[in-house]
Amino acid sequence: MNAIEIERLWVKYGNVEVLKGIDLEIPKNICFAIMGPSGCGKSTLLKAMNRLLELNPDTKISGDIRLFGESVFRMDVTKVRREIGMVFQLPNPFPHMSIYDNVAFAAKCNKIAKNKKELDELVIWALKKAALYDGVKDRLKSKASQLSGGEMQRLCIARALALKPKVLLMDEPTANLDPTAAGKIEELIHELKREYTIIIVTHSPTQAARVADLVAFIYLGKVVEVGDVNEVFERPKHELTQKYVTGRIG
Amino acid sequence: MDRFKIFLLPSVYLAFGILFLMLITFALNSLPIFEREGIAIYTTNIWRAAEEPENEFYGILAAIYGTIYTSIIAIVIALPVSIGLAIFVIDVAPKKFRELLVILTDIMAGLPTIIYGIWGVFILAPIISKIMIFLYENFSFFPLFSYRNPTGFSFLTAGILLAIMVTPFATALIREAYAAIPQVYREVAHSLALTRYEVTKLLLGYIKPAIVAGTLLAFGRAVGETVAVSLVVGNSFNIHPSFFAPGYTISSLIANQFGNAFAYSYMPYALFAAGLALFFIGLIVNVTGVVMLRRWKYA
Amino acid sequence: MLRELKNKIFILYLLASAVLILLPLAHILYSVFAYGLPVLIDRGLEFLTSARPGGIFPALFGTFLMVSLSSLFGVPLAILAGIFIAEYPRSVISNLARPLMLIMLEFPTILVGLFVMIILVIPMGTFSALAGSIALAIVMLPYVTTYTEQAMRSVPENFKEGAYALGLKRARVVFSVTMKMAKRGILTGMLIGIAKVAGETAPLIFTAGVTWRAAGGINEPTGAIPIWIYYLIQQPYANYHEIAWGAALILMLIFLAIFLPVRLMMVRT
Repeated sequence: MNAIEIERLWVKYGNVEVLKGIDLEIPKNICFAIMGPSGCGKSTLLKAMNRLLELNPDTKISGDIRLFGESVFRMDVTKVRREIGMVFQLPNPFPHMSIYDNVAFAAKCNKIAKNKKELDELVIWALKKAALYDGVKDRLKSKASQLSGGEMQRLCIARALALKPKVLLMDEPTANLDPTAAGKIEELIHELKREYTIIIVTHSPTQAARVADLVAFIYLGKVVEVGDVNEVFERPKHELTQKYVTGRIG
Repeated sequence: MDRFKIFLLPSVYLAFGILFLMLITFALNSLPIFEREGIAIYTTNIWRAAEEPENEFYGILAAIYGTIYTSIIAIVIALPVSIGLAIFVIDVAPKKFRELLVILTDIMAGLPTIIYGIWGVFILAPIISKIMIFLYENFSFFPLFSYRNPTGFSFLTAGILLAIMVTPFATALIREAYAAIPQVYREVAHSLALTRYEVTKLLLGYIKPAIVAGTLLAFGRAVGETVAVSLVVGNSFNIHPSFFAPGYTISSLIANQFGNAFAYSYMPYALFAAGLALFFIGLIVNVTGVVMLRRWKYA
Repeated sequence: MLRELKNKIFILYLLASAVLILLPLAHILYSVFAYGLPVLIDRGLEFLTSARPGGIFPALFGTFLMVSLSSLFGVPLAILAGIFIAEYPRSVISNLARPLMLIMLEFPTILVGLFVMIILVIPMGTFSALAGSIALAIVMLPYVTTYTEQAMRSVPENFKEGAYALGLKRARVVFSVTMKMAKRGILTGMLIGIAKVAGETAPLIFTAGVTWRAAGGINEPTGAIPIWIYYLIQQPYANYHEIAWGAALILMLIFLAIFLPVRLMMVRT
């Protein structure tokens, strides 16, 4: 069964059509990259999956998105967001909360852990999974704002993982990080994709080539080409795709 | 230093030297009563005016008590309401109503306080009086309700009126801070499968310094309010825990007693000493609030 | 589920807060009209134009006189102070003045009245419109200064730089260029300050005196509408209370007439 299936998804902000009939099948436990030039609706596509678009009342959505066969629009929205976690472009841990609380808060509200002991274990587990634990284990109570950019992003990953999702959405997660930090995140993605389905939006074709198993090339709100990463990069079927992966557009 | 600066300097000094001038003036004019009574002016509850100066004795403890009591009542009511209204305006109210609500709030924040006063005397006090009589007759064992013959002019009435006056101001501050939270944090919080209540709780934590500063500044406003309070607080020297008891606040004491103060030798100085106390309370609370707000804004 | 219940209660709390504060506020506005309008209609224009019996002309005149005088004293001073803080933001005085301004905004106004009483009324031996005006000017000061400073600071740098590049001296640039562009903000501050002091009671109690007269010169006790209302409320006669409501309505209309246009103007920016 596919992790995510998107069927004829149309998204309009007011009068502007951002996504014009997207069809995608995303299998589980892989890294699926969505690439394309800026402003083509990639972030919108991601935010449609965890129903974050609904925060803006001017958005009109039609079509269907299915999570392991079940339509997300028919599920309780809190459940959708528990199953589908998200990491944003600009690392955004809550600056007024400690590292511990950043990871624990949502997990506690969602009752992922049943008592303090389980919560402590969950936090440590999530931080380890995000390859952050060793760096912060003696300062869990210090404020999250004191971390470096790369550490912050890994904290955000830990925060999302603490909810035990099945799918992890990543919206250009390394766009604001230096190359070393970015490299660490890409390593992490390789680790995580064995257990989770990772859908990553990136505007760098080379990054897609490095981390992804499957890629989709989105241009002006439509899917131009989808396929195995090696296929799309070496033998692109569409002229636009070829131009994009060789850097002529974007 | 260029000539322009020199030209402007006097106006700045004048404008802000006033606060220091005030301090000095009050301090100097309180000296006679300090010499005579020492600290007793603040620690005792006596108000004895007399023909012969030797028999005069003044203590404004009741007024200090009343100022703090009424202001605390005001804050206890105003804080949750201010926060609730702020969130309501930003998150719940339909967009078209938002600007209307904000303007209405701003109008009430600037409305002449005597208008609150006239409403307090003729409308609020009678209603509270009926409630008080009911509560006294049925629950007088409860210390906060135990005052015989409640008249509607009391600590509670003053506290409620102050709460109504102070809320528009506090809510504006909290609302602005809440609206200014970067949109990303709202999105993140929702993406973590939190309910609206949980998201809001998280975001309020983000603006906690603004809320504390708003509370302090609101408290400062309550402490300094004169006419509306003096019309409904009862104006009597009374230190009593009951909501229904009448009392004094420092500002209403000054307003009320100055009329006949000059007929006595020491009363004016006693009132200046009261003014000095109010000056310090107002200063400390406002300074703390302003400093907190600025430090948070620039963090 | 408890979690969903907490959420529902929360929404209820938000609605309750809105109602809890909006209801009294609306009722206050309503009451002033409900009790004041009949008085005005009953007594007609006489209410505004005659002195006793029952008219409030002296108080009206007094308010007008003292607000004008206080603006005369306070506005130029405040604007100059605001210009200084905006033009020399790093000087020691400016760093002191900025928080001081905010503190003075909400400072107990009765203390201002007390202060002016000590330095002016007692030496002069009488309550006076002069003393009242000075007290009001002090209350107005922080408002006008704050708005002026903000307005001056928000003028884009390139306009000022262009003026300097043309060889103009600092005073010239400030007065001819920056101030002209900050005109709107400065005017807003002025009007807000005026609206505020027109409604102030406490500063006038010990300076202008509690009186209904507004006869003579600026060194005589002078009535003002807020003071007059304050006095009337405390009298036992129902007739006086009616006048008080009528005067309250007039005061509210004066306040709204100044405040509302200013506030609505701020919306567009």
